[in-house]
Amino acid sequence: MARPEQVQDEQLREFFVDAQASMRTGKANEAVESVVSALFRLLELKPELTTEELEPRPGWKMPFLTRWPQLGANFVEGSLAKHEPEIEFVKENFALSEAITYYEFTIETAIKRGV
Amino acid sequence: MKFGLFYELQLPKPAGQPQWDPEDEHKIYHDMLDQVELADSLGFDYVFEVEHHFLEEYSHSSAPEMMMAALSQRTKNIRLGHGIVLMPPGYNHPARVAERISALDLLSNGRVEFGTGESASTMEMGGFEVAREQKKAMWEECTREAANMMVQTPYQGFQGQFFSMPPRNVIPKPQQNPHPPLWVAASRRETTMLAARFGMGSLGFGFETPEELAERTNEYYRIIREECYPIGHAINPGLAVLTTFMMGQTDQEALERSANGPAFFSHSLGYYYNPITGGKHQPGEKNIYDSFLESNKKQNTLSAKTGFVKEEDIRKDEPEEEVQRALYRAARTGTAVGTVDRVREMLLTYEENNLDVMIFVAQCGDRKHEHIMESIELFGKEILPEFKERHETKHKAWREEQLSTVEFPINSSI
Repeated sequence: MARPEQVQDEQLREFFVDAQASMRTGKANEAVESVVSALFRLLELKPELTTEELEPRPGWKMPFLTRWPQLGANFVEGSLAKHEPEIEFVKENFALSEAITYYEFTIETAIKRGV
Repeated sequence: MKFGLFYELQLPKPAGQPQWDPEDEHKIYHDMLDQVELADSLGFDYVFEVEHHFLEEYSHSSAPEMMMAALSQRTKNIRLGHGIVLMPPGYNHPARVAERISALDLLSNGRVEFGTGESASTMEMGGFEVAREQKKAMWEECTREAANMMVQTPYQGFQGQFFSMPPRNVIPKPQQNPHPPLWVAASRRETTMLAARFGMGSLGFGFETPEELAERTNEYYRIIREECYPIGHAINPGLAVLTTFMMGQTDQEALERSANGPAFFSHSLGYYYNPITGGKHQPGEKNIYDSFLESNKKQNTLSAKTGFVKEEDIRKDEPEEEVQRALYRAARTGTAVGTVDRVREMLLTYEENNLDVMIFVAQCGDRKHEHIMESIELFGKEILPEFKERHETKHKAWREEQLSTVEFPINSSI
């Protein structure tokens, strides 16, 4: 289960609540902005996420944060390698499906990390 | 739990040959017709067929609507599923999708399942000039409008970000009311939850385990009840997952017949979906099956092992990253592969976790048509009837309970 009520940090929880409210009313851009704020709050609480790596195949490692969906609110090239994640918006308008995808990824990551 | 068959129409090149034999494509198309006809006669519930373009050896199913039209005339009850239609307008204009889905629904007497998706391979997106960063937004806009076209008389027209058209009456209208059940391809957890929010069935291409399924099922149905804003005019609550399938009179026979099928499925999928290898593919030249055999010789991979692997050993070696994990699981030898007893036992674990639909990948790699036919027959006669009975008596009651507070119209074949 991944609900805002399960998020312990108040500020982080508020970002998810805001995102959820925006999604309900079809405001995808606002929802994406709230989720991006949630992501950066999460990185403040769990800075180790910036260096955490996945090993998809033996000997091949990749930053965990490359799992962040590349749907228009993308990490600036090279920022993950420097462990200083920075987001750039490469388009003006987001679809609801994109907002939902960002939301689900971020809230699941937060809840799994127990914040 | 209901059951289906899944088709990519895989066609590995013969080992050591630069091209296929002249009759190879003709044969797999007609083999599929025979397999699905048999499955229908035995009571299988679904067939799902992909739409892919240019993915040589991995999938020769670029015009599934043609196969589905043929099947509509050779089968009586089995549901005809697009698994999926590529929705970005560079592949298919939404009006053409609505027309084809409706026509097939009429021809099949209302048996269509409208699966949707977007694909992520460089070969396809490059071939049709679909921008990677916009494909999900394109999928959403075109799926919503295709559903509107099937319902509105006349369709009121649309000025969108990715396509526009004036008011037109998009005809014919489908047999099912308001439109066939909507699904979306979901290889990641996020997309399963997206499916729930949009009131769509989730076609899980991640080879999920029963444990993962339990968590996803709970969350999926909670979202359907509490946070759903449907993309269509009726919702289709349902979770389907894929697993590899081959049966035999003994486990050893099933394993030998399963052969390199799942491993090639995983290898060729990974090849095309990895932007490095897939992006450099030289059309018409490479023999992927040769590179697969070569890679199996070099590595002591799970796919190269014979015999069943203990579940704990499988989990220990699983990649953490979700897509890679799906590829790893796709290559496993020991899923719905084995005797009647083994396959029944495995399926019971999914049934216990309230899976709605299990879809078998039978046709893959270099598997033999006659072995697939025997497996379908064995499953249909020895296992399917008891699951059908429990579906009617237990699972439908469970679904009613899950959906008791849902106020949206529902059109689901589950």
